[in-house]
This record gives sequence, structure tokens and C-alpha cells, in this order.
Amino acid sequence: MAPWMASGLIYASGLALTAGSITLLYITTRTFNFAVASMATWGFMLAYTGVSLYGGTPYVYLPLVFIAGSLLGLIAYYGLNRHLLRRNAAEITLMMSTLGYDLILLSIVQMFADYLTLTYKLYPRRVMLSAHDFQLFGERAAAFILPVIAIGLLVALHIFLTKTKFGIAMRATIENPVLAGASGINPDRVYMISWVISGGMSAIGGAAMAMAITGTPVMGMNTIPLMFAGAILGGLHSLYGGILGGFMIGLTEYAGVFYLSREIGPWIQGYRMGIPLILMAATLLLFPRGLAGIPWAKLFGNLFSRKRGDN
Amino acid sequence: MSAVAKTERKAPRLIGIRELVLLAIIIALLSFFIFSGREKTIWAIVFEFSIFAIITLSLNLETGFTGIPQFGRVAAVITGAFAVGALPGRLMAYIIGEPWGAEYANAVFNYRIVPVINELLASNIFYSIGFLLLCLFTAAVFGAAIGWLISRPAIRLKEAYLGISLLAFGDFFMWVGHNWNIMVGGSTPINVPDPFRIFGGDRFMAAVLVLFFIAIVIYIYLERLTKSPFGRNLKMIRDNEVSASAAGLDVVKVRTRSLVIGSAIAAMGGGLYVIYTGSIGAIGFQKLTFTFWPWAYMMLGGIGSNFGVLMGVMLLVILKTMIIVFRYDWFAFMVNVGIDPMWLEFTLMGAVIVLVILFVPHGLVPEKVEPVLPEERVKRVLAKRQLEKTSEPVS
Repeated sequence: MAPWMASGLIYASGLALTAGSITLLYITTRTFNFAVASMATWGFMLAYTGVSLYGGTPYVYLPLVFIAGSLLGLIAYYGLNRHLLRRNAAEITLMMSTLGYDLILLSIVQMFADYLTLTYKLYPRRVMLSAHDFQLFGERAAAFILPVIAIGLLVALHIFLTKTKFGIAMRATIENPVLAGASGINPDRVYMISWVISGGMSAIGGAAMAMAITGTPVMGMNTIPLMFAGAILGGLHSLYGGILGGFMIGLTEYAGVFYLSREIGPWIQGYRMGIPLILMAATLLLFPRGLAGIPWAKLFGNLFSRKRGDN
Repeated sequence: MSAVAKTERKAPRLIGIRELVLLAIIIALLSFFIFSGREKTIWAIVFEFSIFAIITLSLNLETGFTGIPQFGRVAAVITGAFAVGALPGRLMAYIIGEPWGAEYANAVFNYRIVPVINELLASNIFYSIGFLLLCLFTAAVFGAAIGWLISRPAIRLKEAYLGISLLAFGDFFMWVGHNWNIMVGGSTPINVPDPFRIFGGDRFMAAVLVLFFIAIVIYIYLERLTKSPFGRNLKMIRDNEVSASAAGLDVVKVRTRSLVIGSAIAAMGGGLYVIYTGSIGAIGFQKLTFTFWPWAYMMLGGIGSNFGVLMGVMLLVILKTMIIVFRYDWFAFMVNVGIDPMWLEFTLMGAVIVLVILFVPHGLVPEKVEPVLPEERVKRVLAKRQLEKTSEPVS
């Protein structure tokens, strides 16, 4: 593996999970979830707490992290999003409401960090979670495990959406909420489940991201533009596009910084955030609807033509 | 016809009961500070109010009146701050013959050059006023330029895409300022010449009064602008883009103008902030403070209502300051369970946004439905039309 690749893959899987969770929520509830930032931070914080209080590797705590994220999603849905969806609120209002929720979560995570410091003498304001990782084939194990988890979750979600009855109902609601409601699907439950899944995904994404970058209580707040960039790059209308976009944003950042700092000079490090943003801007200028809007079928001729008939 | 008559009868009162109650609450809260012996805090409140009123009013022009989801407010604010931090001081350094190139942004030189400039500015009131105006002008020009740049993709992209792209680029601007040493010193803050030095010991009070004055001037300007035909164009585009363009409006042009004016005003806010604090450090311009808080102020006050925005900023700034000042007295019980009440202001801001959206979705002072013209003028215009009709028989 090239030197940038291990960290890049870990970081990219974190971004893919969070971008995927943003996309999932957007296609079901029209909500741009700012709260992904603090949900991701909570994911990291819980993994860190588990590792430093009870030992073990961070992976052991991922199920717990998923459940905690789902709970945060549930609170957001029943406390906030449900009422606004019933009121048929505008997209901007939905977005702002999650921003308010995010600020509340951010303050609680900061208080929790203080609590950890004062009670357990832990210092969660500068954490290298990768110190608790183990080695696999001469690399950090996270570089193999986390992409597998990200892709595994995507596959599980794919199977859930295409093979199970509820998943098909969910897709029907995404396609046409009114018609789905008329045929007896309860949209309320669909929205609730998508908040649960997306909350869990973003929490795991945060824990994954903290394996590559320094974990702080404002980690999510600092990386939220890139999570959104991943979701937008993917086109916001396709779950697979969102996850692919997240992977691409993460990998471009690490690869770009590595090669550019070798070619131009190490000063490029300071502008690392610009590299994925340029990628996003270029993609949006060429394809205003993101990766999912690229006419893949046209590009690859009849490779996909059989599938296109299904739509 | 009945709709016209209805709006005619409801001539807008300048200040209604709602506004009076809000003003009373604000005065009560302010007097609370006076009675608890913290008069000086009021100056800090007025300072923060002035800066954020300017920024939030500009946000309201773009979001409330034009309907652009401006999640990158911090970009324009940063541009103004950098412009004021980098250029007028350099010009002064050039005039008095000090190094003004990359050395100016080097803390070692900067801490020596700026006091010299300050002495020069303090020697003559006209120098000070001229420098302040120069700063405002620089900020506005650069802000307008960045607003124009932002408006280019703003025309191509749709709502959510645009808001998120603006958010991302606002963050990127901060990192550019943080890393590009030769502009404003990068990670080491540099000083900015101080046009208020001439007031000596009363410097901070004088500065606060000037800032307050500028905020009020900008409020009056925006109030007039949004009531002008241009303001009605903005509202029309916000409410229905298709019908606006069908009525012959150039949507792209109007939107661009709104973004340019809004960004110029926000940049002036950023520039004034830098002048008041006397130093600039790029890392201080976080999206939390300069994008999300103005959004909270605007939502509390009422989207699309300039007076409401002023009220929203004032109320929240007072509440925030109260928490900052009294948190260790009022929330001492939290310390006992091992939690620092330092973060309560974030909780407050988040809770305000959530509660406002859930319970007062139109804000404290909602936007009023106003007739285009005052009642008498409408009558006059109608009478004139009637006259024209009768005097010009249809051939």
C-alpha cells in the first residue's frame, strides 16, 4: 500500500458512512441533517470512552455506537422532524431545525468531555484512537476492517431495500410518498426507520473517522463540510452515489495531499480541504446532479441497458 | 378589488404592540445588568449587537428577502476582515515609509509598525475618520467582489446544493487565511491600525458608539432598500421565481445584485469587528459564530423582517451574555456533578433554534404584508387612471 492509502481508506470509509447517512435521510425525509456532525462526534466519543474505560479495540464498541446513534436519530425524529414533516415545512426549515439539534448535541458532548476529564481523568480533547488499533499484514487493521464495514453496511442496506417487504415499502415511499400512503404504507414508520439507520451510520462513521484524524469534541463540526461534499458529489438522490461520493472525497484528499506535497511542496498541507472541494465544484459544474446524474448507461453503451428497462 | 381594499385599510403601523413588548423586555433585561452592578457589560452587549446586527441584516437581505440559503455568511465576513487586516494598514505603512510587503504580516515587524501608524492616526481627527472610511470602503469593495464570485455558481445550483457549497467554501476561506502567512499573518494574529486611538481612555466606548451608529445607518438603508421597487423584486423572486421571470424580471441579475449588496454589508461587519478588536487571527472566524449564530438571530427575530432581526439579535445577545456572566453563579450545581457550565451558551442557541421552529415559525416580529404604496397614493393613482380612461375615449 502507498503510504497515504491506509489513512486515506480509513478516513474515506468514515466519510462514506456519514455521506451515505446524509443521503439516506435526504431521499426519505427531504431533511439535510446537520446533526450528522455531532452524531459522528458522539460515535467517536463513545468508542473512546469504551476503549479507555474497559479496554479492547474500538471495533468491539461499534454495535454500541450504532445503537447510540440510532437513539439520537429517534430523539431527533420524534422530538423535531416528525412535527415539521407533518406541517410540510420547507427544506430550509428542516435543515435549520437539525442545526439547532446539532448545537444542543455539541454542547452535551462538550459537557460529557468535561465530565470524563473531571471524573475519570481522561483527556478526550486530543485523541488518537488509532493507538488502540492492532496490526494486520503490516498495516493498521482499520485500513481493512473499516472499508469492509462501510461496504458491508451498504450491501446490507441494499439487501434490506430490495429483498425485504419493509425495504420495498421504503423505496416506494421514497419514489412517491402520496401513492405509497394510498396503498397502505405508513410513511411515519418509514421516516422513523430511516432516522434510526442514518443515525447509526453516522455514529459509526464518526468512530471510523477518528481512527484516521485527531478526535476532538468539535471533530464533526470541522468535517461536516466534507461529509456534505461527499453527499452532494454523489448527487443526493442515490444512496450508492452518496457512499461512493464520500469514498471519493476522502481518498482524493489524502492522495492529493500526498502527491501534491511531493510535487509542489509541503505548504499544500494547509490547504488540504481545498482539494476535495475543487473535485466537488468541478463535478457539479460538469454534472449538476452529481455522480448519480452522470449518464453511466450512455457512457458504457449497452453494458447497463438491460437494467435500464427496469426503471 | 376587495383584496386591495383590505390591504389599504391595514396601513402598517410603525411600531405595534408586539414590538413594544419586546422593547420592554429588552430594556428590563438591560436594567438587570445595571442593578446587579455590571454597567460595563452593557457596552460589550452593544458592541456585539452592532456587529451581529450588521451581519444578520445582510443575511436577512439574502435569505429573508431573496430566498438564497446563505450558509456561507462567514465567507463574506472573513473577506471583509482580511481586507481590512491586510490592505489599509499596508497603505499607511507605505505612506510613512515602513516595510509594507510580506514583512507587514510578520508579527515581529507588525508589532513595531502598527504603533507608529497609530500615533500618526491619533495626531489628527481627520486622519482617523479617513482611515475608518478607507477600511469600510475596502471591506465593502472586497465583499462585493466575493459576493459576485459566489453569485456565479449560485445561478446554476439549486437550493440545497447551493447552501452546502457555500458552507464548504466558507470553511475553506478560513483555512486559506490561517495558512497564507503573507496576507494577515496566518496562525499568529497581527495588529490592525486603530482609528479610535484618538479618543484615548474612552476608546472602547467611542468605538462602540460609532459601531452602533453604523449599524443603525445600515438598518435604515436596508429598510429603505427592501421597501423600494428593488426590494419588491426580491420578494417576488423569493415567492415565485417562475412568475417573477414571466413578469419580465431578470432573475439572475436581481439575485446577483442582492448577493453583492449583502456580501458587501457583511464584509463591512467583519471589517468593523477587526477594527474594534485591533487584531486579526484567521482561526477566530468560525462558521459557528459567523454563520450559524446569525441564522439563529434571524430565525428568532423573524425571517424577512428587518426590525425583527434587530430585536432577535438584541435578545439573544443579552441572553448569551447573561449566561456567560452568570453561569458560575446560577449553574453551580452542575460543577458539583463534574460538568462545566461553559457550554450552556451552545445549548441556549440550539434550543432557541429548535423552539422557534417548533412554536413560533415566523419569528417574534413576523414579516408584515404591506401595501405597495401608502393609501393616499394608491387612491391618487387610481383616480388618475380613471381620469385617463375617461379623457381618452377608445377609438
